[in-house]
Amino acid sequence: MLEHAGPQIFNGLVLGAFYAIVAIGLSLIMNLTGTINMAHGSFMTLAGYLAFAMIARGTNFWFAFLAAPIIAVLIAVIVERTLIRPLYGRDPVYSLLLTFGLSLIAEEVFHVIWGANTLPFAPPASLSGTLALGFMNFPVYRLFIVAVLVLAFAALAFFLYYTRFGLRLRAAVQDTEMIAALGTNTQLLYTINFGLGILLAGIAGVLAVGLLGLNPTTGNTLLMPAFVTVIIGGMGSLYGSIIGGILIGLATSLMTLYVPAASEVIIYVLMAIVLTIRPRGLFGEEGLFG
Amino acid sequence: MDNALLLEARDVSKYFGGVHACDGVSIGVCGGSIHAVIGPNGAGKTTFFNALSGFYYPDRGQVFFAGEEITRMPNWRRIERGMSRTFQTPSIFPELTVHDNVMLGVRSKAGLAFRARPPSREQEAALERRVDELLGFVNLSRFKERPVAELSHGSQRLCEIAMSLSTEPRLVLLDEPMAGLAESETERVIAVIRGLHDRLGLTVLFVEHNMRVVLGLAERITVFDRGRVLAEGTPSEIAANEAVRDAYLGREVLEHV
Amino acid sequence: MSRGRIFVLAAIALLALEPVMAPYIRVDVTIVSAALLFTIAAMSANLLLGYTGLPPFGNAAFFGLGAYGCALSIKYLNVHFITATLFGMVAALLGALIVAPFLVRRRGIYFGLLSIAFGQVFYFIAYRFTDVTGGEDGMAVPRPYLVVSAFTFKETTFYYLSLAVFIISIVIFKLIVQSPFGRTLVAIRQNELRVRYLGLDSNRFVFVAILISALFAGLSGALSAMLNGFIAPLSLDWHQSGDFVLATILGGSGTVWGPLIGSLIYEIGRDIISTITPYWQIFLGALFVACVLGFPRGILGTILARVGAAPLSNEPEEANWTQSPAIVADHRG
Repeated sequence: MLEHAGPQIFNGLVLGAFYAIVAIGLSLIMNLTGTINMAHGSFMTLAGYLAFAMIARGTNFWFAFLAAPIIAVLIAVIVERTLIRPLYGRDPVYSLLLTFGLSLIAEEVFHVIWGANTLPFAPPASLSGTLALGFMNFPVYRLFIVAVLVLAFAALAFFLYYTRFGLRLRAAVQDTEMIAALGTNTQLLYTINFGLGILLAGIAGVLAVGLLGLNPTTGNTLLMPAFVTVIIGGMGSLYGSIIGGILIGLATSLMTLYVPAASEVIIYVLMAIVLTIRPRGLFGEEGLFG
Repeated sequence: MDNALLLEARDVSKYFGGVHACDGVSIGVCGGSIHAVIGPNGAGKTTFFNALSGFYYPDRGQVFFAGEEITRMPNWRRIERGMSRTFQTPSIFPELTVHDNVMLGVRSKAGLAFRARPPSREQEAALERRVDELLGFVNLSRFKERPVAELSHGSQRLCEIAMSLSTEPRLVLLDEPMAGLAESETERVIAVIRGLHDRLGLTVLFVEHNMRVVLGLAERITVFDRGRVLAEGTPSEIAANEAVRDAYLGREVLEHV
Repeated sequence: MSRGRIFVLAAIALLALEPVMAPYIRVDVTIVSAALLFTIAAMSANLLLGYTGLPPFGNAAFFGLGAYGCALSIKYLNVHFITATLFGMVAALLGALIVAPFLVRRRGIYFGLLSIAFGQVFYFIAYRFTDVTGGEDGMAVPRPYLVVSAFTFKETTFYYLSLAVFIISIVIFKLIVQSPFGRTLVAIRQNELRVRYLGLDSNRFVFVAILISALFAGLSGALSAMLNGFIAPLSLDWHQSGDFVLATILGGSGTVWGPLIGSLIYEIGRDIISTITPYWQIFLGALFVACVLGFPRGILGTILARVGAAPLSNEPEEANWTQSPAIVADHRG
């Protein structure tokens, strides 16, 4: 049994990294504007379908991999400006409902264009196969995923903590009025913030479809665990999202091996435990969202 | 004014991150007195009120009400014990009428709020009489059926005071009752506050910036500065206090004393 | 007789005549049955959202518990219709008793996300417990016999049954929201802090509201299972909860009759549109988006506001999540 644990732990880390990056995207959007983006999964799926469409037309994987999230971000910006902006300042329930409606539309649109079946999405030859590292064989594609996601985390951290714009973003989360009074264009900030969250989702989406397959609901299967990650890690804490994500990724993965029947619910059990012992989450700030 | 302390705070402290909003505050409020809390903005007065009333719990220190320790008692239970409170912005039910606003507290006191069955006719009549009584005390009877959102700021504050009386408190905490009021409205509210003490025999603890009001109403004053108690005493003592003058009062007040 | 009463009587009369009108207006009796039962589930969401101010995105779990509770009792205990319904409601209530202690300390979006999460737990349990629930494929619900077993279980009979249950439910709902308890819920929605500062433990009220909501949802689930003769785990998914909320908001949250209007639009609209295109979900989603942006009070809410009788509905208000962190939390964290 234990020799299976190794690969499962690795898989758990890969899964956890996914949860973390989706959770961070959700967190960014939530923290700044209080928008609960139930369509986050739809944007992930959108990026996946865009990549698929581009590859089907002959573009190479790497180009599609970079272009798809960017196109998804452009669409997201339009959505933010037209549909989500009117809801700023209102009770977050409205954004939850609106984005829920959007996710319904998106799912059906994907269905119309690409059908309900899971489409085959094979990573390029350069990324297939396994690599022997020490005592285990690692699937190259999963190593690639880990590499990309770690890079994304690092880039995000650099952006937020070492650039002026990142500073403005963090300051705005603390006190939007002050930032506006200091002359920052807050509307633009919100849009860029939303775009940033979707960029992370788009990257995750393109990576995920190589792993999970591509159908209208691929993104949604990562959405609820991502919310659980945010809750466990603590609203308002990006670091918490990473730890939380890894925690539930590992839990899910190990459960799949040892107690398959509980593999889906384990994350909710963990969430209930965390909420009982420490209601604000592992690294959360008190008072955010009650 | 009897000597028993109705409300006592001992070394109450509340920190937010690195900020000592409230640091080692000890105050005693005698039963039946009107006690004012003054101090510059950000001095910790509202934080202190929040700790007293259970809006949050202090990080250090204790609060006693009528001899009972209530430091970590849930806020709703403090109300049952006989405390009540108003807020800087009137905390009322914006979509209801004045009558309904006051009725909830009356019903709560009568123990009839957590009921599926509507009250009997006699009970209902008694509740209505009580609502009328409260509205009469703050002089809002003519607005009884009006939506409270239509009222002026001052009238809303009076409605809030009526609501805080509906639970038959012994101590009323008023957080900046004059905030945002026009001159004419201020007189009305002063009269009501005085009535709380003189006619109803309640203990009143209030935060206020308007020094004329404070010196006119209060029997005792506590001065806050940067989260700590700077001075405490009668109005004349406070006005004469050098440290207070330097930190806060200023020349114009001395002319009034 | 007041205008409101006239409308109500007219609505009930129309509903009572539906089986007669069906061939002419091309709305089948089963669709309206489904709509009436859906309304009961939407009412459960309405109690929490429109009256207490909490977003209930886990009610599909109570719906599903009601359905499975009912189905399993028929399958293994061979009970008749009323007992089966009661089994369903009890199952839903038990589920609520497990979940409510966690939910009751949360407000706003935390409440919403938690309710989704717990709903998902029940969903996955139903999915995995294949021996008991039939798993992904669902389970067939045999038709129970009615009190008088001479009745055959025709569509029309079931329709009048659903109508009767609906009328009883809406009467009970109205009694609840107009009771002192219900009025306190409304006050909680508007200003929970003040409710507590009037000496009331708001958490107690929220707890009971969750239980009542679960009972309504369970009732709806049990009857729906018997109507469709089938129940599957997807009925517990949070998208189903979202649909209940959708119907409530469309029709008018915070009003007694809003959920009926929303449910009729949902069911009948889906039926009509799906004859034109299989992609009715796009229209539903678009309608929902338009509703949230344009008329958040819903159809009935907007009408009542115009008429001047302002309903106890959700007016877009300033986000108040900066409100007290200490209203309900226990301060252990």
